[in-house]
Amino acid sequence: MMDFARVQKELQECSKDIEGSGIRVTPKTDATLARLVGTIPGPIGTPYEGGTFQIDINLPDGYPFEPPKMQFATKVWHPNISSQSGAICLDILKDQWSPALTLKTALLSVQALLSAPQPDDPQDAVVAQQYLKDYQTFVGTARYWTESFAKISSLGVEEKVQKLVEMGFPEALVRGTLESVGGDENLALEKLCSG
Amino acid sequence: MVDCTGGDDDYLDPNDDDEDYDAYDANFCENDVRKPNVDSIKMITKETLLAAQREHLRTVMEVLSLKEQHARTLLIHYRWDVDKLVTVLVEKGKDELYAEAGLSSVEHDNFVPAQLPSMVMCVVCTEDVPAVEVTTMDCGHCFCNSCWTEHFIVKINEGQSRRIRCMEHQCQAICDEVKIRILVSARDPNLAEKFDRFLLESYIEDNKKVKWCPSVPHCGNAIRVDDNELCEVECACGQQFCFSCLSEAHSPCSCLMWELWCKKCRDDSETVNWMTVHTKPCPNCHKLVEKNGGCNRVQCICRKEFCWFCGLSLDAGHSCGRYKEEREKVNTVIERAKTELLRYIHYHNRYKAHIDSLKLESKLKNTIQEKISWLEETITTNIDYRWVTNGLYRLFRSRRVLSFSYPFAYYMFGDEGFNNNMMKYERDIKQSLFEDQQQQLEANVEKLSSILEDHFDQFLEDEVMKMRLNVIDLSAVIDKLCKELYECIGNDLLGYHQWTTPSIAPYMSNGVDKASELVCKDMKPSHTKKNSGKDAICFTDEWPSVKRLKTDDFTHG
Repeated sequence: MMDFARVQKELQECSKDIEGSGIRVTPKTDATLARLVGTIPGPIGTPYEGGTFQIDINLPDGYPFEPPKMQFATKVWHPNISSQSGAICLDILKDQWSPALTLKTALLSVQALLSAPQPDDPQDAVVAQQYLKDYQTFVGTARYWTESFAKISSLGVEEKVQKLVEMGFPEALVRGTLESVGGDENLALEKLCSG
Repeated sequence: MVDCTGGDDDYLDPNDDDEDYDAYDANFCENDVRKPNVDSIKMITKETLLAAQREHLRTVMEVLSLKEQHARTLLIHYRWDVDKLVTVLVEKGKDELYAEAGLSSVEHDNFVPAQLPSMVMCVVCTEDVPAVEVTTMDCGHCFCNSCWTEHFIVKINEGQSRRIRCMEHQCQAICDEVKIRILVSARDPNLAEKFDRFLLESYIEDNKKVKWCPSVPHCGNAIRVDDNELCEVECACGQQFCFSCLSEAHSPCSCLMWELWCKKCRDDSETVNWMTVHTKPCPNCHKLVEKNGGCNRVQCICRKEFCWFCGLSLDAGHSCGRYKEEREKVNTVIERAKTELLRYIHYHNRYKAHIDSLKLESKLKNTIQEKISWLEETITTNIDYRWVTNGLYRLFRSRRVLSFSYPFAYYMFGDEGFNNNMMKYERDIKQSLFEDQQQQLEANVEKLSSILEDHFDQFLEDEVMKMRLNVIDLSAVIDKLCKELYECIGNDLLGYHQWTTPSIAPYMSNGVDKASELVCKDMKPSHTKKNSGKDAICFTDEWPSVKRLKTDDFTHG
């Protein structure tokens, strides 16, 4: 019943523009297109900056006539996102969904939600209270959560750098190479050896 | 039945009354204080629903020169309130009126496929489709027929038939029902039929002046009340109900009081009170223990022994016989629960007793009818016995008033917050005033009940005449007392808070208003014929078929 042709096209469209939007959508398993994982970078100038947030996407049978089900897999401290379950309170994922929207536009809206919280319509009452009453603490907590949960790969980077430096490559070169291959340790080693 | 004339009714004893009997002739029921609401209460059946809806549609179509489907979109948005719609039109203008309801400018809806290139890309399915297979809505957004159909099916199944928005993101336009119908019926005719029914029923479900009759099993009718929505009505199926809360007619109890009372009678909140009074928790296992003997050393099933006075363990050191200040508190809690329980029992017993009497007395109806028939057959003189049936009717009517006056009093004079700003002394005065009224009514109702149980078929003629005078007189007195009781409730008790609107249905001398059949100008003669008389309630016809709706009502131009 689901329009897999459209989903396939959406995935292709999205992968073309990863550089521009930073938004990535990939199937969770090879078996089905109904379960996907979306990745959005934390918006610059927010406590989420520098983090990479993973979102679980489940497509209902009626997609695109019914909205996709989205939920944060990465823990995030935000008034409209449950700090427990990752559930997102966003109108376009509910009654304001339109079949003309896509997974990418929906993820862009989620990213916009990170930049502009709406504490008057909260999903997580505790976070919303903190946002309204003690904004500084809110920013601190949100940043801490970003550091702790949304930067796991960046901790990995340090380990990779250390490993490659121990092999005898200069640190600056190692960092540059790792960045150029998108953090893949083996590709970086190959490049370092060949270069 | 026992004659219950107490001391309270001395000055209203009908025997001492010098009122002119002729004034309360057999037809006295017709003389109501208030103009009956009957003309404004209409019953809408499956067959008249369409006609009722079209009355409003026609008005809007004429005022705004709109097509029927657009008028319906507007009316659904404004909840079938034509006055509200006209107010918005006058205050904000046509464009705002349309925009709020999601109605796009209705001028350019004559879609011409030739304006489009031969192939069109549908952004929903991302396919290129021939221009003949796409549909453009009034808002100008264009998608392929297959996607539109899918969208409509999802929305209809979600129960949103009445407000299906365009598929474009952030477009608030409501899709044209004619286009929806054409597309959906091509894929799923049954669903299209369902869609039509949802649109028809919007007139009932989105309209505060119309409500489904709450009868179970459902009679299929709805009731429309044109002026005062705070009233009690009777559907053609015989169901009497309060139009505000849809439960059984309950005045002079307010809707909130009645809801609380039903809940109280249903759940076992008083069981809790009973347990507070009659049991104590075991200090060991905390189960509730009831004392079944005289000894105050109580043993729980867990074998723990404790003192019934203080509820504490009888270990060494127990000495509750000694006076200590704070123990008083425990007793007050128990005492309060006890008082509250007794109070509830008092009101509930009287409420129940009148309901039970009403049940027994409804059997009288047949007995009396038999007596009258017998008399009419055996005695040749043409005596009118309508006074008996009228008296019986008055008895039923006032029994209900009496029984519902008890839950009313329970809340009005209790601590449930219905009298929060009333001073204690003020409350006492009002309570005794109310109770005087109630007692007078009660005494006279019992008197009437007892007289009506007499075997008037075996009476001599002068005895019958005496009974007739008694019944007519008592009926009048009771009617007057009911009216006064409602006035007392409305003005002195509920009207005490000036900011609250009256919250009980008014007293109707003639009883609950019966809904009359809705007759519309444009109804076909066959409809009116079908719906006349009692047939309307047992009508088993299917809903108006899609075909009929299509041909009669929705095609145009």
